[in-house]
Amino acid sequence: MPKCLVCYKWTLDEQDIKIKSEDLSLDSSRAKGKISDFDRNAIEEAALLVEKNGGAVDALTYGTTTVKQSLKDCLSRGPEKVYWISDATAGNADASVTANVLAAAIRKMGQYDLILCGEGSSDQFNQQTASRIAALLGLPCVTFANKLSYEGETAKATRKLEDCQEEVSVKGPVVISVLSEINKPRIPSLKQVLGASKKPNEEIKVADLGLKPEDLQPKAVRKSVKGFVMQRKNVIYKESSAADNVAKLKASLASEGLC
Amino acid sequence: MAGIYVFSEDVALGKQLLTPALELKKSLTQSIIALALSEADAKELAALGADNVVVLQSASKWADGLAEAVYTQVSKSQGSVLLVGGTLRGKGIAAYVAAKLNAGMVTDAKTLKIEGGKLLATRVLYAGLATCEEEVVFPAVATVRARTFLAPPASATAGKVEVVTVDGDSRITLGVVTPTGTAGVNINAASKLVSVGRGFRKKEDLKLAEDLAAALKAELACTRGVAEDEHWLPIERYIGISGQTVKPDLYLAVGLSGQVQHMVGCRESKVIVAINNDERAPIFEAADYGIVGDLYEVLPLLTVALGK
Amino acid sequence: MNFELTEEQRLIGQSARDFGKEYLEPIAVELDAKGEFPKKVVQALAKHDFLGLLLPEDVGGAAAGFVSYVEVIEDLSRYSAAVASIVNNHTIAAYTIQKWGTADQKKKYLPGMAKGELLGGFAIYEHGPTPGVGPDTLVAKKQDVGYVLNGKKAFVRNAGEAGVYVVFATTDPALGAKALTAFLVKSDAIGVKVGEKLETMGLKGCPVADITFENVVLPETALLGAVNGGAAISATALAVASVAEAAQTVGIGQAAVEHAAAYAKQRVQFGKPVATLQAIQTLLAEVATDCHLARLGLRNAALLIEEGKPFEVEAAMIKSFLARLGSKMLIDTCQVEGGFGYSETMPLPRLFRDIAGTNLLDAPGDFPEKLIAASIA
Repeated sequence: MPKCLVCYKWTLDEQDIKIKSEDLSLDSSRAKGKISDFDRNAIEEAALLVEKNGGAVDALTYGTTTVKQSLKDCLSRGPEKVYWISDATAGNADASVTANVLAAAIRKMGQYDLILCGEGSSDQFNQQTASRIAALLGLPCVTFANKLSYEGETAKATRKLEDCQEEVSVKGPVVISVLSEINKPRIPSLKQVLGASKKPNEEIKVADLGLKPEDLQPKAVRKSVKGFVMQRKNVIYKESSAADNVAKLKASLASEGLC
Repeated sequence: MAGIYVFSEDVALGKQLLTPALELKKSLTQSIIALALSEADAKELAALGADNVVVLQSASKWADGLAEAVYTQVSKSQGSVLLVGGTLRGKGIAAYVAAKLNAGMVTDAKTLKIEGGKLLATRVLYAGLATCEEEVVFPAVATVRARTFLAPPASATAGKVEVVTVDGDSRITLGVVTPTGTAGVNINAASKLVSVGRGFRKKEDLKLAEDLAAALKAELACTRGVAEDEHWLPIERYIGISGQTVKPDLYLAVGLSGQVQHMVGCRESKVIVAINNDERAPIFEAADYGIVGDLYEVLPLLTVALGK
Repeated sequence: MNFELTEEQRLIGQSARDFGKEYLEPIAVELDAKGEFPKKVVQALAKHDFLGLLLPEDVGGAAAGFVSYVEVIEDLSRYSAAVASIVNNHTIAAYTIQKWGTADQKKKYLPGMAKGELLGGFAIYEHGPTPGVGPDTLVAKKQDVGYVLNGKKAFVRNAGEAGVYVVFATTDPALGAKALTAFLVKSDAIGVKVGEKLETMGLKGCPVADITFENVVLPETALLGAVNGGAAISATALAVASVAEAAQTVGIGQAAVEHAAAYAKQRVQFGKPVATLQAIQTLLAEVATDCHLARLGLRNAALLIEEGKPFEVEAAMIKSFLARLGSKMLIDTCQVEGGFGYSETMPLPRLFRDIAGTNLLDAPGDFPEKLIAASIA
């Protein structure tokens, strides 16, 4: 009966973000919020584990004022209770701030057997949160899991890496980040949606976490953001001799490390 | 603070990291210390510009478990910068070290430089919609993906190598490791694609593309017309708005015009190359390199040239 | 006043969209081509509580309210209006039983309908001039115990798949529509003969057929509502249904304008995407505007229904609006996509045929404008 915690982020749907043609800046004024895609997989995985092994899932999220819009969404997907931290610091938090806040909150919330995260958030995709939380809490960490099971007190995961799949097992509390292929998040049924308002949520205030001001200052600061516009080199070889063109192309490919 | 640290469990990537490290060294005038997993790897790194190389010798074969050892090395001399190869293992190690150092970390940095006493990096956001600049105070950690940089040329002097014995992470037990085979078509996993269009006159002519793909160690892909109309290749290989979307390092488009519906499936390829005999084909505007010519003439020549 | 959906309504819409993407998008084209009733999809709809959306919790429904309902219908319609039609016709039948049924009738039919084990159909139309009038009109002759039904019903959606039909028959041909009475008829009742499936222009996959009733014997307990009270029941039920159908029109229109806009951004002519040409901008703007305003009007009508307030005028307004401008949304978006979009491998031709089936007026004699004018003059 593992006690599971899943951490999730409320992000802007990147499909709604537009690039302003004048200066390539981003316009996210019309962007709707969503639970980050990979976090949905983490929530689903926690829900599946608990359906199989018993136990319950708590959820934890740290964000700005919009984070309250995520609570029922989260609770309709399996967790029994959601803890939320709504703070202005989340607006420009980097991975270090996020991990400091989440780890401090988890220390307050109690012991968990499994702490699940998505492999990265759908907006920044830093892919750091799970490993950072584990380091701060002194827990082992298993990243990029595409399969997860729990027996007794042992978590067994299969990691999908570039050149292999490796099985690992950990006894005792562990932080795990999951890949999107691990499962297909449920489409909440109407009763699950309507049942969400009956489940509890609890606010945790940043002021109560015992963090120092520098823990809430980002160490990686975003200086500028620009929309991506396809710009290609357009180096076209039009010699009359095909052999010449081929030789030039080969040199270009070599310079790109492609042959 | 002193020291530009470089680590990857994959020594080929580790060597590539030396290139940005050498650039940073010019601004910071600090030594480059590479961390390696074997003496053989260490010697290669020492020959390419690492001032010092520390071999982390461990009984454990699980590289991820060396994160603490990496942290110990970086923190003991208060390194300014740590560059880690952005493999999946590397990202976990880097983030662990960053947390212990209370440091900022840039994931998948595309460019790196020192500005105003901080590490300035660029990277991608919102699934490719945007790019951003991130500035990190020291100690700064950054992961860099394979093939973002090329390995530097050999350096004049070789760096010093030392070996330290370190522990792994005993809390995690490694089980069965299954190497990933190359069976089955996975267009999305291919790092190089040769994509064919209807510039080829008949199905048998695709052999020219197959030979080229073999020389490049690439997979074959195609346009909608080739898959759905001509049935020369299976649907799984069709790239386009209602087919697959791919992001290979190389997308070599042969005999295809480059219509928007097709290009939307491959526009994030690192390098796009076009071979087409129509100079006005839209593919050339979307390509980094290209040859205007007859594919029947160009492909055999290119295959031979690449085979060498 | 608040134009926003509540959180629950928004999340229900999100589930409907995710459902549409996962279950409807892969089958929409084949469903339209072959017209085979999508049994598995209907089962999946039931599993997600969509078929019991309006029904109370004590019969296993989700009791989510009418605003959530139209949100679901709009979202499902973006992917397959044919499937949304199946849901609509089933739901209107269930709604009618919920509103006018006795406790026993509700207990007998609604739990199965909420679970999707029992599909509903609504048999009101006839080939004659109006229900209750004409040689084939469905007549319910009073017997010692119950009624005997003889006659024909036309254009019954879900015909052949439904397990129970809400059927309107006249108890006295001399009185015609004034004696219209509602009955609940099980599909396996002796004498109920579902005719051949009609080939319709669109919404293929939602079966439509005539149903002939040959000496169908019904007990008293099959009577729905009061004797001769059928006209009032059908008027209200059809008014509610018209709001639900409007949601289909809006969903189809939304899908069409999104597809046309994406196309216009990509299609390059004269060196620029056609989305920069004024003619195209005008077409897209008009469709987007009509769709947006229709959605607001439809949500307003839905809220009135949910709150139990008078809604018939607002329902007539949205019906009238979309009868005029619904198909225009597809005419305009087809114009945007031009020859490229005219191919059957593209979605607009199917949406064009589908939308035409969602904004048909029920009875030319009782056109919505009549009700609207009467409300102000």
